[in-house]
Amino acid sequence: MQLLQNPEFGDKIVTLMAALVLVLQIAMVGQRWIVTNIRIFGAQSFLLAAIAGTIAWYNSAPHVFIAAVLTLLVKAILVPVLLERLVDRIEIRREIEPIVNVPVSVLISGALTLIGYIVAESFYRPEYTSGPASMGHNTLAVAISLFLIGFYMMINRRKALTQVLALLSLENGLFLAAISLTYGMPLIVELGVFFDVLVAVMVLGILVYRIQETVESLDVSKLRKLRG
Amino acid sequence: MILAALLLIPLAAGPISFCLRKRAHMEAANLAAFGATFLLAIALALEVLRTGAVSLCDGFFRADHLSALVALLTASVALVCAAYAVGYLRQDERDGVFDGDDESAASPKIRNYYALTPLFVFSMLLMSLANNLGVMWAAIEATTLASVFLVTFYGKVTSLEAAWKYAIIGGVGLSMAMFGTILAYYSGHHLAGSDTLAGLNWSFLAERAGQLDKTTMRLAFILALLGYGTKAGLAPMHTWKPDAYSEAPVPAAAILSSAMLNCALYGLVRFYVLTSRSVGAEFPGGLLLLFGVLSMGISVPFVLVQKNFRRLLAYHTIDHAGIMVTALGIGGKVGALALMLHMTFHTVAKSLLFLCAGNVSQHFHTSLFDKVKCGVIRSMPVTGTVFLMAMMAIVGMPPFSLFQSEFLILQAAFDGGHYTAGALFILFGTGIFAGAVMHVGGMVLGPPGEHPVASWHPWRDGSVLALAAVLVVIGFWLPAPLLELIRGAARVVAGE
Repeated sequence: MQLLQNPEFGDKIVTLMAALVLVLQIAMVGQRWIVTNIRIFGAQSFLLAAIAGTIAWYNSAPHVFIAAVLTLLVKAILVPVLLERLVDRIEIRREIEPIVNVPVSVLISGALTLIGYIVAESFYRPEYTSGPASMGHNTLAVAISLFLIGFYMMINRRKALTQVLALLSLENGLFLAAISLTYGMPLIVELGVFFDVLVAVMVLGILVYRIQETVESLDVSKLRKLRG
Repeated sequence: MILAALLLIPLAAGPISFCLRKRAHMEAANLAAFGATFLLAIALALEVLRTGAVSLCDGFFRADHLSALVALLTASVALVCAAYAVGYLRQDERDGVFDGDDESAASPKIRNYYALTPLFVFSMLLMSLANNLGVMWAAIEATTLASVFLVTFYGKVTSLEAAWKYAIIGGVGLSMAMFGTILAYYSGHHLAGSDTLAGLNWSFLAERAGQLDKTTMRLAFILALLGYGTKAGLAPMHTWKPDAYSEAPVPAAAILSSAMLNCALYGLVRFYVLTSRSVGAEFPGGLLLLFGVLSMGISVPFVLVQKNFRRLLAYHTIDHAGIMVTALGIGGKVGALALMLHMTFHTVAKSLLFLCAGNVSQHFHTSLFDKVKCGVIRSMPVTGTVFLMAMMAIVGMPPFSLFQSEFLILQAAFDGGHYTAGALFILFGTGIFAGAVMHVGGMVLGPPGEHPVASWHPWRDGSVLALAAVLVVIGFWLPAPLLELIRGAARVVAGE
């Protein structure tokens, strides 16, 4: 029971989980199958919810708890289920076919992580938050890396559905940044953001479905009629 | 009270239109809602002029002069486009665009249009009236989500391509704006009272701008500029714009190119004010000048070689987004005033141009210059005349109002010592002028042909004429309350 009151222990747990989140992000870059990618995204969101929950517990911040529960429900369960059903319905070839091959992509992700750490150093202000509240600050670098790797995945992928996944993991980076910098935005803002994410997944899902129906391919690089 | 009604009416109109079965009822619901919204926006503007900032729910919603101006412009465009849409969609129906859909009720496409447009307008109004930076972000993301299916309206392969670009580029761009918002919140996180909901309020941060963390605020501004700049279509994040504007149905494209541009710029202005009060105006100003001049420059070649007149108008919008961002970057009292004047004038002229282009493309069944065989002015005298006039206005010919605002921007540029930006502004302006006169002049004043003379369409031509009358009048005379509102908005930007 003592451990549950000790903020240092909490800090270690958060750091460990943040490291796992980063590993999962790089795994997503390396993974070839769409369905596995969706599940990795679900696991990543689950860890994020756990990080938010831990921070909420040690800072006794109820609104972060609500954000954690929402992450669990929306990003770790609902969104992956919706996306998997979409994959079943459109019966696409289930490989991702990135533009840059996997080993190079993983190296690039490593470089982006390094950049994330350098950027995070530059505006870390320990004096703003002290004591138990400083927990989670070392996750900022992970958050920025997630954001950058998400960007890279966005560029590196040709299929509509995998671009959606990249956008979602980028959004995960934002959530982690908000949690680690400021213990989450005010609750009503978080609610608005979650609502937007959910609607965005549905809108993009419908678009993916209709692109597949009309073009009979999900390769958005084949959509090249509009120029100039 | 006004604020709540202004937001709730369009919010309710969307689901109501969705539940109606007859096209005529949807039209009536939309027109009534946008009419009421327009009147409420005027009432809000008058209230703001009388009492200063109006707020609701402990300052969660707040309207100062700037918000009231943007909301008024949004509501006006929405009303005109709603009236135009009635004629436009009926014409589409006569042309058999919706053939194959169920005959007994209105086509699902029409239902989509009338249900999504109010939601789109609602999210733009929410954007301009929310005080909280996070809610502002959620609202502008909602504008994208509400308008994606307006872009896919015709369901063609090209519409899907346009919508996909629009949604993905918009989504990635706005995620940067979200990061900027988080950092802005963080930069004030050491201040007392920042833990509450009010800690993310623009007014809260603006009052304490001097105490915000400077490094974080700089980074926040860069991210917000990239994010809201994507939504405003600044180069090099502009690639979605010509596609979305040429694929969406014309009234929706008119709203996208005028009202939504204003909203994106509004978000940028809010961040600019915070940053310039925190770290001084040079840092944000320099970045804005860079993006502004780049956007103006990039649109010139595309305007010169353009074959499709709706894409031409889209590149014009990119140019004008650049002009407005340049005005903001120049800053100071004159720059801010010029920005607000230009925003007002551009909104009128650009939505008018899109409506004229819609008339032409429905009459000739094409959006390509080559395929408009005879002079527009010969087969559509009203539309042709107004089209030419609005084109002259948008490239900044006197006596139209955009000449005044662009001249004011130049004056501010040279007064402020931004000689390079001023010179490039003139150079690119000349290129745009040449392109517009060459293409649109050629199309409108072409030779007589066999094409039948268009009949009078009350909804379409009526809204075009009404907007044209506004354009002519504001060239010579701005009503005193509107001018006062514009000055007030400029004061918000430049400080007292």
